[in-house]
Amino acid sequence: MKVSYRWLQDYIDIPWSAQELANRLTMAGLEVESVERIAPDLSQVYVGEVLEVTPHPNAALNVCQICIGDKTLTIVCGAPNVRVGIKVPVAVEGATLPNNMQIGVANLRGVTSYGMACSEAELGLGDDDGGLMELSDETKAGQTLSAALGLDDLVLDVSIYANRPDCMSMLGIAREVAALLGQTIRYPELTLTELTKPTNELTSITVEDGTKCPRYSARVIENIHITASPLWMQQKLRAAGMRPINNVVDITNFVMLETGQPLHAFDYGKLAENRIVVRLARENEQFVTLDGVKRNLVSEMLMICDANQPVCIAGVMGGENSEVSNETQTILLEAASFAAINVRRTSRKLGIFSEAATRFEKGMDPEGTVYALNRAAWLLAKYAGGDIAAGVIDIRNGQAGTKRVQLRPTKVNQLLGTTIGEQEMKDILNSLELVVDNQVSPWQITIPSFRQDIELECDLIEEIARHWGFAKVPVTLPSGANAQGGQSRMQSLMDELRRSLVGGGLSEAINYTFVNPKGVTQIGLGDQEPYNLMIPLQNPLTEDHAVMRTTLLPSLLDSAQRNLSRQQDRINFFEVGSVYLPESLPLKEQPQEELCLGLLLFGARKQRHFSTQVEYYDFYDIKGYVETVLAHFSADFVHETGEFLPLHPGRQGQVRVGEQVVAHYGELHPDVQKAYKIPDRTYVAEIDLHALLAYPKKLPLFQQLPRFPAVERDIALILDQTVPVADVVDTLRDKGGVLLMKIGVFDVYAGKQVPEGKKSVAFSFVFQANQTLTDEEVAQQLELMYKGVQEKFNADIR
Amino acid sequence: MEEKIQSIRNRAVSACRNVTNIQELQEVRVEFLGKKGELTALLRGMGQLSAKERPKVGQLVNELRNELEEVFRLREGVISQSAQAVKLAAETIDISLPGRKSAPGTYHPLTLALQEIKSVFISMGYQVVEGPEIETDYYNFEALNVPPDHPARDMQDTFYLSEQLLLRSQTSPVQIRTMEQQPAPVRIIAPGRVYRSDADVTHSPMFHQVEGLLVDRGITFADLKGTLQLFAEKMFGEGTQTRFRPSYFPFTEPSAEVDVSCIICRGSGCRVCSQTGWLEILGSGMVDPRVLTKVGYDPDQVSGFAFGMGIDRIAMLKYGISDIRLLFENDLRFLQQF
Repeated sequence: MKVSYRWLQDYIDIPWSAQELANRLTMAGLEVESVERIAPDLSQVYVGEVLEVTPHPNAALNVCQICIGDKTLTIVCGAPNVRVGIKVPVAVEGATLPNNMQIGVANLRGVTSYGMACSEAELGLGDDDGGLMELSDETKAGQTLSAALGLDDLVLDVSIYANRPDCMSMLGIAREVAALLGQTIRYPELTLTELTKPTNELTSITVEDGTKCPRYSARVIENIHITASPLWMQQKLRAAGMRPINNVVDITNFVMLETGQPLHAFDYGKLAENRIVVRLARENEQFVTLDGVKRNLVSEMLMICDANQPVCIAGVMGGENSEVSNETQTILLEAASFAAINVRRTSRKLGIFSEAATRFEKGMDPEGTVYALNRAAWLLAKYAGGDIAAGVIDIRNGQAGTKRVQLRPTKVNQLLGTTIGEQEMKDILNSLELVVDNQVSPWQITIPSFRQDIELECDLIEEIARHWGFAKVPVTLPSGANAQGGQSRMQSLMDELRRSLVGGGLSEAINYTFVNPKGVTQIGLGDQEPYNLMIPLQNPLTEDHAVMRTTLLPSLLDSAQRNLSRQQDRINFFEVGSVYLPESLPLKEQPQEELCLGLLLFGARKQRHFSTQVEYYDFYDIKGYVETVLAHFSADFVHETGEFLPLHPGRQGQVRVGEQVVAHYGELHPDVQKAYKIPDRTYVAEIDLHALLAYPKKLPLFQQLPRFPAVERDIALILDQTVPVADVVDTLRDKGGVLLMKIGVFDVYAGKQVPEGKKSVAFSFVFQANQTLTDEEVAQQLELMYKGVQEKFNADIR
Repeated sequence: MEEKIQSIRNRAVSACRNVTNIQELQEVRVEFLGKKGELTALLRGMGQLSAKERPKVGQLVNELRNELEEVFRLREGVISQSAQAVKLAAETIDISLPGRKSAPGTYHPLTLALQEIKSVFISMGYQVVEGPEIETDYYNFEALNVPPDHPARDMQDTFYLSEQLLLRSQTSPVQIRTMEQQPAPVRIIAPGRVYRSDADVTHSPMFHQVEGLLVDRGITFADLKGTLQLFAEKMFGEGTQTRFRPSYFPFTEPSAEVDVSCIICRGSGCRVCSQTGWLEILGSGMVDPRVLTKVGYDPDQVSGFAFGMGIDRIAMLKYGISDIRLLFENDLRFLQQF
């Protein structure tokens, strides 16, 4: 809401500067976002009256004599609308226009021009650049333009919260200022002179849906003369950001800005049978609004109609067919109350966010209609020559009740932690026109109809608190329970996981959880459940954010690609985040949100260092990270070859617990790598943390340290290429019995000196017992182990 | 005889002085003190001396032996020291080359900011609670006193997944779910992702919030002020001021917007705070009795406050990040700065 500092003073004397007022309003809950001059600095721009217009001898221009008070200047002008008698803004020598144009004396094809007559656009006052800005007859030649148009005003841009539609009006803001000052406001003048002819002989109002239209008030005003509105009104409308049009339209707008009640003027002569019917639209009915756009209506929209057809979308926008024009003689003036929800739905459905709609949808005071109607009638009589027919037609659904809310003064201080005196409370409430009866206990507060937001005691406490001053409320800490803070085991575990991955050299990434549905197809999972069950957003911002992710991989790959395109050649990150897995689609109930961990490695394993050869990430790096993560949990994890489509079929593993696969890891499938335009081998993993959380890590149990020396032995075995080393290790461990403490693989080799199709694998063993082991005991055990792998894998000792 | 001894001494000391390495020193030593050395020969020849002379000469020879031993020892020390010095000098490396780092990774700045916020509130006795991101209309709006078609829904343009399911626009549903499950007192913070249909330099359609809720007997607006003042000091440093401005949220009454004195300029006015000296970082208020009643609490018995803040905004302010989109692009040049 744009509030003119000068206009506001029509209703209340303000002892503060505009800036000070802005601060006070902000601290009282009406946030002022800016305080600005309503127009750019226009010194050296004056009102000029065009006295003479003659064609330029050498060009398609005019040479004008323009009077700016004590001087008459020769000015060359090319505007099409220049003519004798009009008043226009004139920028004289020395002026600088908002577009930085410097005005001086100039020779224009042989004629000396002593200034420039300006358009709205040139002065930064509007968009109209089609000709000179024509000023009201009320302005005087020689006045500065700023003074003539009231441009030296300041405007406060107040943001109005959704619960305070009453403040979307000058009177509403003035009431808040008055409360801050402990005063009351001056309401505008209102003494109507009516004709003897009664309104209800000129028209009739029928309201078919009293729920959607709880009140409809109307007047008829005859003998209207359409002209420009008075200059003071134009100035105020401009300050509020509205464009003056003509006296009737301006008056309805002015009264809306002043009172908050939207009004609509119909050309009475254009209404079939000169009457109004308020009814729902017919399905697929069409209607052309004031802006010339044809609208398709649906049956829940409330329409203002004449005897035959719609003439206005209730509370949203009027129609072309009943618009006031220069020929209009009689108008029917509407001030109504429409159900907020209906206006809101209609305006959203049609995409019309008019001043009227933004007010109605927040819930207008149903008691405000007649006041606004009378105020507008009074102005029409005064500034449009109107004759007011006798009486208001006022159709209402149900009777206005008086709302009372109870207040316990003790509760105020209890909730706020304050010691506000009862008299102070009463004064604050009274200054807001909330009428206090403190002779009863609890107090009875009568709520004026314009304060629709006040329903409960807490609403009154808020009124007291914000006008008493939040700053004065003391600062204390909650007493009571010695509460124990903390987080859940799972949350701590997530922190630990992050710590170990960051410690392991990875950076943490965060991607949007809504993704482009293409990603799942790009990684080869387009036909596979649950990955293809992506929940679509009904109103996504872009196709890239259209569905909820079912895997972290596509966004990690996108992030990797983005880094590559920005010349990063070493990429290593992880992301902890949810995937969203519905039972089925379309979505019927809340889906599973499963926490996952994604990892991606590309490029050099370590930061380059001059002392070492560059080593590149490989399969065993990603596996190592997966093992690091699994080490935070306790379960029988089985690593086996996987068949996960996004991964290289020969270079991928999966981790199983029982029947459940909890992780996939490996080298990215070359097709996927290509699809993401990644130039080289990439390693990824996706781990189902949600599943792993069922296997929390057990507390470590201390083992006595061995007191006898260990015996170390290495052997190399020749194995078939296809034999998984992990299986050999299992057998060796099994056969190694209680003496075998540790087993490791320290070399894998194929090539020279190893037969074709074979590989040499070197193992290291540590044997230990509760006594000093003899060489024979160790040799016996080794023999057993060797026999085991010989039988099972046809292994040879190298 | 004495002259001979003196001569040996002089020659030995001079020879010792002339050697430059341990080997030569050893040779000199053998020459004078070895089994076949001059001094040994002298001792051997003592038999020819008179009984009267023998002890005297013996003493002199022994004194000389001791003296020479000391001279050789000192010389050896000097020689080996300089040899070491030469060796060390030869081993000099270029220490200006870069070190070999273990290069730990980095936390996302949002994680860092959240960890800090969490630790402040955990130390003040708050439990960390989480809830689903895909919420029902009831928990995201209705239970929070925002019925269908309420204009407050405009404050948060919501992403819908179906008629009744949406991406939560705030973490407040967690407050409701918690209160439904346990009686007062409640003292929680609820961090998490939230979603609103809005995208520019300071708005992301996905962002992160932490909300707090404290419900107990006798909780006051003054307690809310104290709690958030303490939080601001712990989070942004001692001397940080707070300012409470009346505001409107459907689920709190009274409601307050909370500004902290600008953490960049400390309140004197700068570009970050648009010259106001204040940064708006929190929304807060006393829990609306309608909300308490809905979850089965008696607003005449208990009262409470709630507050919420954007983690993204706090991280951006703390680290001077100018564009919210950087948080979700995962550019490693960005991530590795934290």
